[in-house]
Amino acid sequence: MADQIPLSMTVNGQTRRGLGEPRLTLADFLREQANCTGVHLGCEHGVCGSCTVLMDGEAVRSCLLFAVQADGADITTVEGLAPDDETLHPVQEAFRDCHGLQCGFCTPGFVVSVAAFLETNPDPSDDEIRHGIAGNLCRCTGYQGIVAATRQAAATMKGSRQS
Amino acid sequence: MSQTAAAARYVGQSVKRLEDPRLVTGHGRYVDDIVLPGMLHAAFGRSDLARAAITRLDTSAAEALDGVHAVCTGADLNSHNDSLRASLYPPESPAPPANMLADGDVRFVGDPYVMVVAESRYIAEDALDLVEVEFEPLVPVVDYETAAESDHHVHPELGGNLAHDLPVPNPATDEAFADAAHIITETWHQHRQTNVPMETRGIVASWQPHAGVMEVWASTQSPHELQLVGARVLGIGEHKMVVHFGDVGGGFGQKMFLGREDMAVLVVAKLLGSPVKWIEDRRENLLASNHARIEQMSVKMAVGEDGSFLAADLDQLEDDGAYPLGGPATPGAMATMLFPGPYRMGPVSWRARTVYTNTCGRGAYRGPWQMESVAREQMIDRVAREIGMDPLELRRRNVLTPEDLPYQVSTGLHFETTISPEQTLEQAAEMIGYDEFRAEQADARKEGRYLGLGMALYIEPTSMGMGPLGTESAMLRVEVDGHVNVFMGTGSHGQSLETTIAQLVADELGVRPGDVTLHQGHGSGYGFGTGGSRSAVIAGSAARAAASGVRDKVVAIAAHLMEASADDLEVADGVISVKGTPAASMTLAQVAATAYQNSDALPPGTEAGLEHTARYKAPPSTHSNACHICTCELDPGTGKVTLLRYVVSEDCGVLINPMVVDGQIAGGVVQGIGGVLYEHAVYDESGNPLASTFLDYLVPTAAEVPELQTGHVVVPSDTPGGHKGTGEGGAIGAPPAVFNAVADALAPFGVYPNRQPLDPNTVLSLIASASN
Amino acid sequence: MVGLLAEHGDDAKPLAGGQSLVPLLAMRLTRFEHIVDLNRVDELFGVSADNGGVRIGAMTRQAAVETDDAVADRAPLLHLATPHIGHFQIRNRGTIGGSIAHADPASEYPAVMLALDGVAEIASASGTREVPAAEFFESTFMTAVAPDELLVALRFSAWNQLAGFAFDEIARRSGDFALAGAAVGIGTDADGRINRAAVGMLGVGPTPLRASSVEAALMGLAASDADPAEIGRLAADDMDPIGDVHASVEYRRQAGSTLVGRVLANALAQVSTEAGNG
Ligand SMILES: Cc1cc2nc3c(=O)[nH]c(=O)nc-3n(C[C@H](O)[C@H](O)[C@H](O)COP(=O)(O)OP(=O)(O)OC[C@H]3O[C@@H](n4cnc5c(N)ncnc54)[C@H](O)[C@@H]3O)c2cc1C
Ligand code: FES
Ligand code: FES
Repeated sequence: MADQIPLSMTVNGQTRRGLGEPRLTLADFLREQANCTGVHLGCEHGVCGSCTVLMDGEAVRSCLLFAVQADGADITTVEGLAPDDETLHPVQEAFRDCHGLQCGFCTPGFVVSVAAFLETNPDPSDDEIRHGIAGNLCRCTGYQGIVAATRQAAATMKGSRQS
Repeated sequence: MSQTAAAARYVGQSVKRLEDPRLVTGHGRYVDDIVLPGMLHAAFGRSDLARAAITRLDTSAAEALDGVHAVCTGADLNSHNDSLRASLYPPESPAPPANMLADGDVRFVGDPYVMVVAESRYIAEDALDLVEVEFEPLVPVVDYETAAESDHHVHPELGGNLAHDLPVPNPATDEAFADAAHIITETWHQHRQTNVPMETRGIVASWQPHAGVMEVWASTQSPHELQLVGARVLGIGEHKMVVHFGDVGGGFGQKMFLGREDMAVLVVAKLLGSPVKWIEDRRENLLASNHARIEQMSVKMAVGEDGSFLAADLDQLEDDGAYPLGGPATPGAMATMLFPGPYRMGPVSWRARTVYTNTCGRGAYRGPWQMESVAREQMIDRVAREIGMDPLELRRRNVLTPEDLPYQVSTGLHFETTISPEQTLEQAAEMIGYDEFRAEQADARKEGRYLGLGMALYIEPTSMGMGPLGTESAMLRVEVDGHVNVFMGTGSHGQSLETTIAQLVADELGVRPGDVTLHQGHGSGYGFGTGGSRSAVIAGSAARAAASGVRDKVVAIAAHLMEASADDLEVADGVISVKGTPAASMTLAQVAATAYQNSDALPPGTEAGLEHTARYKAPPSTHSNACHICTCELDPGTGKVTLLRYVVSEDCGVLINPMVVDGQIAGGVVQGIGGVLYEHAVYDESGNPLASTFLDYLVPTAAEVPELQTGHVVVPSDTPGGHKGTGEGGAIGAPPAVFNAVADALAPFGVYPNRQPLDPNTVLSLIASASN
Repeated sequence: MVGLLAEHGDDAKPLAGGQSLVPLLAMRLTRFEHIVDLNRVDELFGVSADNGGVRIGAMTRQAAVETDDAVADRAPLLHLATPHIGHFQIRNRGTIGGSIAHADPASEYPAVMLALDGVAEIASASGTREVPAAEFFESTFMTAVAPDELLVALRFSAWNQLAGFAFDEIARRSGDFALAGAAVGIGTDADGRINRAAVGMLGVGPTPLRASSVEAALMGLAASDADPAEIGRLAADDMDPIGDVHASVEYRRQAGSTLVGRVLANALAQVSTEAGNG
C-alpha cells in the first residue's frame, strides 16, 4: 500500500486534517474524514455532478480530484452554504419552495452548482439556466422544479445584492 | 380564524416538504453514509463475457493481499440460499437457479463470479485485480426475438429459454376481423433501458452473534421485502431481521426487490461476523442491476369505416435477461390485458411470452407494463394515418365517455365511474392549442420545417389490491409532548411521503403537518413498500384511519376533562376547543400527558395511552388516467429532435399535495422522453454492453427537456380520501406521446417508424430510407 | 517536472485538469506508477498576447480561455468553441493543454488548433521543440508529445484581415462530446474575395481533420457568392468517420457535412458583416 500522506484543508470554514493515500479522492476525503456526507457519489466518473463542491470558490467535481491536490485549499460543500443551522441559503430555500428535489440524492451537487452558476450569471434566461445546470443529472424531478428554483434563487440573490 | 378539523386544511395544499431542510443542506442519511465500527467493504468481480464456462478460478493471490478478509465464489456461497425469488411469488414459480454468484459458468456481462470483502473499497478492488480467472466462451443468446428457438440455453438447468407463454385466444375477434373495413398491423418495439436511480444500490449488513440478529441498512423501496426475503435467505426469524430505513436516492422499481448481491452481502456478513458494506458503482448499476422495456408487441387491429375500433389481436414478447430482478415477472400479460385502455375496443385476443437471454435481468421500471400504452397509442396514430383521419378525431370517436361508465373491458378489467379519459383528452387538446398547432405545422412545412405533435391517452391501474400488495398499516402514536409519530411499512424514496402522510394525518387529527413524523422500516407493520403508485391510496388510507381512531379518543378525553360535549369540540393545530368559544381549550399535549401520565383522570373505561393502529385493505384497483400531448421540431439535416411543448392533463383523484403530484408527473415524463430520444442500454451481437458509463447511457439533462404544463381533472375515487395513484403515469404516457410526435414530424417523408430509440442517427436513416 | 517524466518514462503520466485522466483511473481502465501533478507549476498557466498572436500555457483552464479578452480577440474560434466543452464545472478544472494532449477526436480544441494552424511548444529534459498542428495529431489519442515530454504551451497567430469565424457541433445532449462539429475561419481581401479558408472538423475521423476540399473550393470566391450548403457537402470526402453507439459512419458523414455547410454559412455571414462595418 502506498504511503499515507498528511492532508490539511479548510472545509466549510474549519481546518480539517487527515491522512490519505495519493489515490484518495477529494470526495472520499470529504465524506470519510471531514464529516461531509452531503458530498454524494452518483457516478465517480465526472458526469452526474452529485459530488460538486466549491474549491477556492469554483465549482468542481470532487470525484475527479485527488485529496492531495486540494491540500491547503478552501473547500465549501453543501453543508457549508447555509449561514446557520436555522437558515437556508437562498438556493436551498428555492429548491424547497419550488420542489426542486424528490429523493434528494442529486440535490447537494445541484445546490452547489446553482450557487456557483448564479455568481457568474446573476440574471440568467431560462435557456441559460437549462444549459447552465446541464452538468448535473437528476432522475426524479424532470428538472421542472430545479429550473424554477434557479429562477427564484436568481431573483432573491439579486434582490439581496441590491439592498 | 377557527375552522373545523374535518375540513381539509392541508390536503390539497402544496405544503413545503418536511424532508427538505435536511436534504437541501446535505444532511440526509443515505446508506453510504452509514459507518459502523470494524465495517468491511465488498466488491464483486464480474464477467466480461456474455456466456462462458469458468475453467479456472484461483483466489489465492487476492486472499493474500493485506487487508482482505474474504474472497468468496459461488461454490462458497450459493448453498446458503435456496431461491432468488421475491416474497411476491410462490415457491413453485419457475425461476433461474439460486446463484448469488456465478458457479461454473457466467451468464451475462456483469454476472458476479467472485466477491471480495476487505478493509476498504480500494483494497477490495485491488484484490479483484489479483483474482486469476479463465473463461471458455460459449455461444451467447443475445437476441430475444430468436431466443425461444435457440439451441443454446441461458440456464441449462431449465432446458429452454422460454420462461412464460400465456396464450389467450378469443374467437369473437375472428368475426370482427372478417367484417372490418380496415385491418392494420404493426409490430412495436421498445428498446432496452434502465432505471438509473442517482443513488446506486447499496446495503450495510451487521450480524450480532448470540442475539442472532441481522441489522441492515439499505437503499430500498420496501423494507419489509428486505426483512422477509433476508430472513428466508439467512434462515432466521423475521423478527431477527432488523431493517433500518433512511434516505433513499430513487429506485423507480429497481429497489423493490433484493438483488443477488444484496443476498450475498447478507450471507457473507453472517459468515464473517463483521459488518459489511456494499455500494454499487455506476458501471455495475448500468450493467448488472436490472434492465427494462425490452419487448415488442405485434398488434392487429380491426377498424370500421367510421374509425371505430372493432377488435384487436396482440402478440407480446419480452426479454427477461438472465436473472430477472425479483424473479421472472410477467408484465407482458398485464400489458396485453390492459391494451384496450380508455377506448371501446371490442374483443381482444392475445398471447404473452417471456424469454431468457444472456443479458442483464429484467426488472420493474416505472409502469412496468406500459407497453400497452406504447403499442396502443402508437397504433392509433398509425391507424389515423392509414385511414386518413386526424388522430385527435379518431380518439374522440372511440374514447370512453361518462355515458359508457361503468365499463366492462373484454379482457376482464372493470372501469368504475370515477375515470375521466374524455375530459383529460379535451383538456390536454385545449392546453396545447390543437387546431392552432395544426395550422402552424402546415405553415412550417411550406418553409421546409418539420413540426410534429404526438398524444397519448391512457388509464393506469394504481394501488392494486391483490395479494401482498393489498394492504398497508399505520401505527399512530401521540407522544407525551403531543408530537405524532406514525410507523408505516412504506419506503419513500422521493415520493414525499413524510409530507403527504403528515398532511393526511394533520387534517384527520387536527394538528399541523410539522407535528407529524413518519417512521418507516424497523418497527412498522408489514407493508409491501413504495412502488406501483400505491402509497397515497393504500398507505394514505391506513394513516387516515389510524389518525381518525386517535382523534376520537382525543376528543373523548378532552370532552371529559373540559366537561364539554364531544360534539361541541373541534381539533385544529393541536388544540382542542369548544366550537365558538376558543378560550375554552386544551392542547393535544395536555391530553397526551393525561393519557400517559395521569391515566386515573381519563374517562371511566378509557384505555391509557394515545395510539391506534389501522390497516387498510385496498379495492382490486383504482384507476388514474391522463392525456399527454407534446410537440417537436425535427431537423432533417442532423436528425435531431427538439421538444417544443409538453402538456399533461391528468386525473389522480383528490390531490394531497399538488406540487408533489406535478413533480411525480414531471419526473416520469422526463424518463419517458429519455427513453424514446436518448437512453439505450445497448449490447452488440456478442452480448457486450456498449453503454457502461454516463457518457454512453444518456440520461436527459435540463437542456433536453421542455417546460411542462400540467392540468388536473379531479374525479374522486371511491377510496376514503378519493385519491388515485400517481407515481408511474408520467413514464407511461410520455413514450408514446414523444414517439407519435416524432412520427408525425416524419410523416411528410412517408416513413413509418416502429421502434425506438429515435436518436438522430435513427431519424436520419429513416429519412434516407424514404428518399431511396 | 520534465525530469520526473524522464526518470519514470512510461510509468509516469502528467495530470492536468484530470477531467479525462481521472475517470479512466477511477474505472481502472488505465494505471500508472507515478502521476505527475502539473497543477502547482505556475509557469504553465496563463495567456499572454505576443507579437500578433496569443500564447496559452498548457495548464490554462478552459474556463480562463473562455473569458480571456486576448483569446477572444486574437483566436476567436477558441473563444467560440470553449462553451461547447462539457459543463462549467468541467471547464473550471479542464485545461487547454490537457484537451490537446488527450487528443480526443471528438474534442473541440484539437479541431480548432488544426483549423488555426496553432503551434505546440513541447519540452523534455533535453530542451524545447515546436510542432505545428498539422503534424501534432498522429492517431486517435496519440500526439507528437512523447511519454517523457510535456506540452508547455500553445500558440495561435491572429488573422490580420477581414475575417469571420464560427463554430458549432451536434451533440446528443448539452455538453456531450460531439457526434460531429466544425470550426470555420474565413478571411477575405478588401474586395471580399476569400483568400484564407480554415475548416477544422471534429468527431468525423480518427483525429481532428481539416476539410481541405471545402477550403479549396472556397479560395478565390467572393464571400457573398459562395453557396455554403453546396460547398459544405464536399466535406463528406474529407472525413474518415468511426461509428460508435451514438452515431454510425454514415450519420457522421452526412450530418457532419450538413453541419459544415451551416457553420460555413455563419462564418460567411460574419465576414459580410465585418466588411459592412469596415
Ligand atoms: C462530463 C465531462 C464532459 C466532458 N465533455 C467534453 C467535451 O464536450 N469536449 C471536450 O473536449 N472535452 C470534454 N471533457 C473532457 C475535458 O475537456 C478534459 O478536461 C480534457 O479532455 C482533458 O483536459 P484535462 O486538463 O482535464 O487533462 P487530464 O485529464 O489531466 O489529462 C488528459 C491527458 O492528457 C495528458 N496531459 C495533460 N496535460 C498534459 C501536458 N501538459 N503535457 C503532456 N500531457 C498532458 C494526461 O497525461 C492525460 O493523458 C469532458 C469531461 C467530462 C468529465
Ligand atoms: S460522482 Fe462526481 S460527477 Fe458523478
Ligand atoms: S431528486 Fe432524486 S435524483 Fe434528483
